[in-house]
Amino acid sequence: MEVSTITAILDTTLAVVFTWVAYKTGQIIWKYTPYSYPNARIKAMEARLLSDQRILELSESRTLQNFVVNLEDSDYGSRLTSIENVNLRNVEMALELSLVDLLELMVKIMPKRVKGFFELLEEGIDVRNISNVIKAKLNGLPAQDYIIPAGKMLPKVKAIIEAKTMEEILVILEGTEYEEPLRKLLLKEITVQEFELELYRNYYTKLFRYASSRKGEEKVILLEFVRMLIDERNISTILRAKMAGMPPEDLKKLIIEGGSLSKATLDAMVNAEDHVMAIGELEGTKYGQVIRDVREELESGNIEAIERAIRKYRLTRMKELAQFYPLSVGVALTYILEREMEVRKLRAIAKLIVDGVKPEKIKELVGEVA
Amino acid sequence: MEPIVYVALGMALGAGIAGAASSFGVGIAGAAAAGAVAEDEKNFRNALILEGLPMTQSIYGLITLFLIGMTAGIIGGGGFKFAEPTTQNLIKSAILFGAGLLVGLTGLSAIPQGIIASAGVGAVSKNPKTFTQNLIFAAMAETMAIFGLVGAIILIMSL
Repeated sequence: MEVSTITAILDTTLAVVFTWVAYKTGQIIWKYTPYSYPNARIKAMEARLLSDQRILELSESRTLQNFVVNLEDSDYGSRLTSIENVNLRNVEMALELSLVDLLELMVKIMPKRVKGFFELLEEGIDVRNISNVIKAKLNGLPAQDYIIPAGKMLPKVKAIIEAKTMEEILVILEGTEYEEPLRKLLLKEITVQEFELELYRNYYTKLFRYASSRKGEEKVILLEFVRMLIDERNISTILRAKMAGMPPEDLKKLIIEGGSLSKATLDAMVNAEDHVMAIGELEGTKYGQVIRDVREELESGNIEAIERAIRKYRLTRMKELAQFYPLSVGVALTYILEREMEVRKLRAIAKLIVDGVKPEKIKELVGEVA
Repeated sequence: MEPIVYVALGMALGAGIAGAASSFGVGIAGAAAAGAVAEDEKNFRNALILEGLPMTQSIYGLITLFLIGMTAGIIGGGGFKFAEPTTQNLIKSAILFGAGLLVGLTGLSAIPQGIIASAGVGAVSKNPKTFTQNLIFAAMAETMAIFGLVGAIILIMSL
């Protein structure tokens, strides 16, 4: 072979190999590096999740004061120790605020390309606050008791609480996405239920749009997460509406699109005779096993059982995804769900302690309520 | 290209690619180590060991650089042995270039090793008992770099 031929072959090989290697290396680094820090941090936080043994010990606290003291060395310590007057409401609030702190931390440490999702999850607090305040105002209840003192719109929420009339609230919410649904509510074009749904519909749509705009495994994980959130809400809405005897035409308006359940399944559930028949429609879906596990409770009218079962399913599914994609947003979402479940357990224990339930009974109940 | 260019490229790419990959690998694992230590400083020792694993590829790169340099006469005096642009010298230079490239490319295993070590740092922070297992998982990626080094030594020895 000619010398020039050898060098030409070598140079071309070199160029091809390097282009390919540079592309692949860049791709791998871009994909995984941003998750390295946050995921290790979250895993370290997971080590501090309360063990079953610890939960049982907390069930033996006997007084709310002891309960708070026993949690001082946990992730809830900073929020709980800052309570001036230890009562159930303040303890529950401190636990809720610890979840808000967690979301804020996620916004700080997660990679830029998924940070927006956690900001949107934080917006859920605003939706909950505004919806609760409006409902409380309409029912003449003290709105202050129904809010979490957090969220981007907290100043507006506080102003709404102080407002004397609904028109004043409309002025406060002017220019926000909450203005239009409230206007419709005041003009009696929609019911309170539909107003609340409208807020959640907007919220879930935003989450769905964000998840859809991502790429690769982020899209897969975020979309599955959002779809399960929507499914939980739709199933719960349908079953509750069926138990309340709501006509299918009205119920149809309350369905949120974007979940993993097909339109046919949702239609069949909406048109089912009663909640038991509606549950039956879920048999062929991915929630079939979830339903079978709580069927008796559901048929007896305990709709909370399905919400609880779907939450557990969601956590299991996210854990699977986090194991499959160890350096991904799945780890953070799993941890958030784990903490939410833990907070539910802690709130239940606190409530049972205040109600004077014996520790043995609390231990029995805490697994069921969470 | 002249034979010396291939030899020099072999030396540079062997040490350069492996070194760069090591730095990325250590960087990825290091970020995880920082996260683990930020939550609990007890994680420092385990995180440090896992973080250091992707560093070895750069050592293989450096060993190759010296071996190529010595074989070609660039290091140790005596001048460059394959200066004449003959076919034979060009082939010898290409073999040395290949040896360097082999170590460089297999040295890229430092990046996935860093990713494994990063996941390992997280796993060990959650459950310190899994340290040995995670160390072994991360060390597996090292095998490719060792194969590369062995291959490069065989190529160099063939001259």
